[in-house]
Amino acid sequence: MKPIFSFLILFLWIQNLGFAQTNLLGKVLDGKNQPLPGVNVFLKGTFDGASTDQGGSFQFETAETGAQILVFSMMGFKSQEVIVELSGKTLEIPTLILKEEFNELNTVTISAGAMEASDEKKSVILRPLDIVTTPSAMGDIVGAFQTLPGTSTVGNDGRLFVRGGDASEVGIFIDGLRVGNAYGTTAGNVPTRTRFNPNLFKGTFFSTGGYSAEFGQALSSALALNTKDLAKRNQGDLSIMSVGGGYAHTLANEKRSLTVTGNLFDLKPYQGIIKQDFDWERAPYGSDLELAAQQKTAKGGLWKVLARTESGGMKLWQAQPGVADRGMLIQVKNTYSYSQTNWRKAYESGWSLFGGVSYSSNKDRLNFGGTEIERISQLTHAKWTASYDFSDHLAVKNGAEFFRNDYSEALTKENLERNFGDNQGYLFTEWDWYISQKFVLRSGLRAGFSALADQKWLDPRASLAYKISENGTLSLAAGRFHQLPEERFRVLNANLKNTESGHLILNYLYQKEGKTFRAEAFHKSYDHLVRFEGNPQNPQSVRNEGEGFARGFDVFFRDRESLRNTDYWITYSFVDSKRSYFQYTGQVQPDFAPKHNLSVVVKHFVPHLKSQLGLSWSFNDGLTYTDPNRPGEMNSKTGSFQNLSLSWSYLPRPNLIIHGAITNVTGHRNIFGYQFAQAPNEQGRFESMPLGQGAPRFLFLGIFFTISKDKNANNLNNL
Amino acid sequence: MKIILATLSLVFAFVWNASANDPAYESAMKKQIQAMKTIQNLEQSQSVINGFVRIAEAKTTEWLPYYYAAYLQTIAAFRFEVNKDQYFDQAMELMSKADKIAPNNSEITVLKGFIIMGKLAVDPMSRGQELSPLAMQTFGKAIALDKENPRATTMMAQMEQGMAQFFGQGPEKACGLARVGLELFAKEEAKINENYLLPTWGKREAEQVAGACK
Repeated sequence: MKPIFSFLILFLWIQNLGFAQTNLLGKVLDGKNQPLPGVNVFLKGTFDGASTDQGGSFQFETAETGAQILVFSMMGFKSQEVIVELSGKTLEIPTLILKEEFNELNTVTISAGAMEASDEKKSVILRPLDIVTTPSAMGDIVGAFQTLPGTSTVGNDGRLFVRGGDASEVGIFIDGLRVGNAYGTTAGNVPTRTRFNPNLFKGTFFSTGGYSAEFGQALSSALALNTKDLAKRNQGDLSIMSVGGGYAHTLANEKRSLTVTGNLFDLKPYQGIIKQDFDWERAPYGSDLELAAQQKTAKGGLWKVLARTESGGMKLWQAQPGVADRGMLIQVKNTYSYSQTNWRKAYESGWSLFGGVSYSSNKDRLNFGGTEIERISQLTHAKWTASYDFSDHLAVKNGAEFFRNDYSEALTKENLERNFGDNQGYLFTEWDWYISQKFVLRSGLRAGFSALADQKWLDPRASLAYKISENGTLSLAAGRFHQLPEERFRVLNANLKNTESGHLILNYLYQKEGKTFRAEAFHKSYDHLVRFEGNPQNPQSVRNEGEGFARGFDVFFRDRESLRNTDYWITYSFVDSKRSYFQYTGQVQPDFAPKHNLSVVVKHFVPHLKSQLGLSWSFNDGLTYTDPNRPGEMNSKTGSFQNLSLSWSYLPRPNLIIHGAITNVTGHRNIFGYQFAQAPNEQGRFESMPLGQGAPRFLFLGIFFTISKDKNANNLNNL
Repeated sequence: MKIILATLSLVFAFVWNASANDPAYESAMKKQIQAMKTIQNLEQSQSVINGFVRIAEAKTTEWLPYYYAAYLQTIAAFRFEVNKDQYFDQAMELMSKADKIAPNNSEITVLKGFIIMGKLAVDPMSRGQELSPLAMQTFGKAIALDKENPRATTMMAQMEQGMAQFFGQGPEKACGLARVGLELFAKEEAKINENYLLPTWGKREAEQVAGACK
């Protein structure tokens, strides 16, 4: 026991020395040499310390002696430690400068080309909820993005068209993994929708150019959708709509959650009530089943599974110009599956890892007036990324990707088939350099390889952002982008190489509480576009010979603050685009790139009605088309496109939403082009028919009811 | 061997006793809790927060100093002209440190819910759908962890009151919860003496909800 005893004596002796108090004082400044108040200054491992005052000064007394560590700490700043020798006298610490840590709140972000929707981040343009409540979108993700800068509405197509690019130039990703055939299969002139429900996603990242080296195989745009993390509670969601219905059931606890959803839709009853301009033999119908599961793994990892399968179809008569009867009967039957799994984890060491695989499978059975065609497309995408933060100044993301793409199309009656299979590999690296809080530089490189095209390529990309004022940021982005031609062309010519584009973007973003102003100018060059002889139904000698450009600017203004309970945004996009592509021999303005595009969205919440009222208005100056009765290509333009949509969402109870919407309230007669007869009539004229809308208006009514058997809610009732 | 065992157990007993009853810790906490009651401005608030953080950093086995630091950070966001989101985020950061020391603690859970409520109040239009069920769920969990916690019941009463007002429903549920909260506060007050360090806030909020029930 003796050593313990002497230890106790020693301990008491040290304690007794304590009356010799040391007085510490000093001053703390920030990076701009201004006094920094509120800094916690203390001796490590003790309770002794003080906060700096308005003048940045601190002063405290301590009974500790000898060598000690003096800590300077403040949230958002890098802590500093100073070794001090306490001797019972006054000790003046030399003035110290604390540097602010770079984080998302105080550091510039690159905004060129990018539009982010998220609840988590600050620099966002749209929130996930905004997508569901945009009237013209009718709950379609892409429908909501059509109100954003850089996009054009092509009303008889429904897909996303970005800055003079066609719909295939937009790459769609879920949790970073590619989605094949993201849009439903449709017959020509019947607009399609995205297959995925907006409720699946917690955030979206939509880029209209100059995007990260992480995304490839997209010439114009990347749309990245991020699925929700763990569901919060057990619940059932029932929806009853004018076009169908569905049910989703969610089981959740703190570690894992599972949602199973089933939907049925059929437009037949709706079309029975509302007169249609299209000659339907069988209205569009379909059903889908979807499973989403999330599991927390050890120490902060998250593992997700998403699987979806759906089938549907439609049958309609398409009148032919110059022919008196109902025309050609077209039938579409589609089955589609998408499944993916991914895992991500952030380590405290600064590493974060991601791995995932997705598989898309699409099968179309088409019948064009007796000609039976079967198309099968399969896409597998595997991806790994590893990110590392060297410091808050430098971060890197590296990745490797593998794609397998199989495609076949067959004339079933004639027993003729053609197909191709391709393996592609990619490596990418991207470096973010935060030179100061005001200046960030991102440089990336993407290398690709395709076995079928027998081609290797490199895509350098770079962007930078400079904060020019407290709320304003200027960004510049440039890069090269490669994309292999559409499957329908590759199957005709396996030697087709990549199409290519180059982007240059200048962006100005101003964001202040509730207000966003964004202006962007761009220039895009196109090379090696697909060209052929003949017509798109029967292309001959397909080759990489087309080229072109798109240039223009867009402005966006959103204000959620000035008017009470009102949120509105206004977008104008100007695109000047010409390209030689498909059957066109010269450079023409494509039929999906209207010059002037304008959209306005207004949402107003009326508290005493418990309702949100929505309005959206889209306008473009018309689409080009070729009139064979006149000389030249793309020699004519349709009238303007206009669509005024209104919606009303009513929330009588927390778990009940009644939503009604109507598109094209004014009944504006939108024409998207003209179909011309193959041969001239007796007078030598090509007869034509306008390609219009399926009906002047579309009405939607839905009731959404949530049943929650929350364990906690039950607990409450027991109180 | 026996002697070593005896010595070890003695040492352990001593150490355990020291941590359960550390006078320096207790007096430091009491000093900050006293100072907490006199906060008039942001500077004073930061100074008391820093005091609690100092105790937390020196006494890494106690969740309470982090809890108070986070509580004051949250109150500061409501009371003073600051970047509210940043303050709430920092409060949440402090709470996750407290959570690591004492997982599944009802008081910690209530305060987390309170922070979520604060984030919700910054932008109810766009955050409501996501955060109001989360706040409800968090308060529900806090009640489940300790039915005697008056703050858990009171905060839930506040949420229920807000929901009832928004949807134009009757205040019965909120009023019932507030009454239960007030009873629990009475029970808690009987336990409070000069050495009581645990949280005691929330009675005023319970009274406010109950006040609207006549």
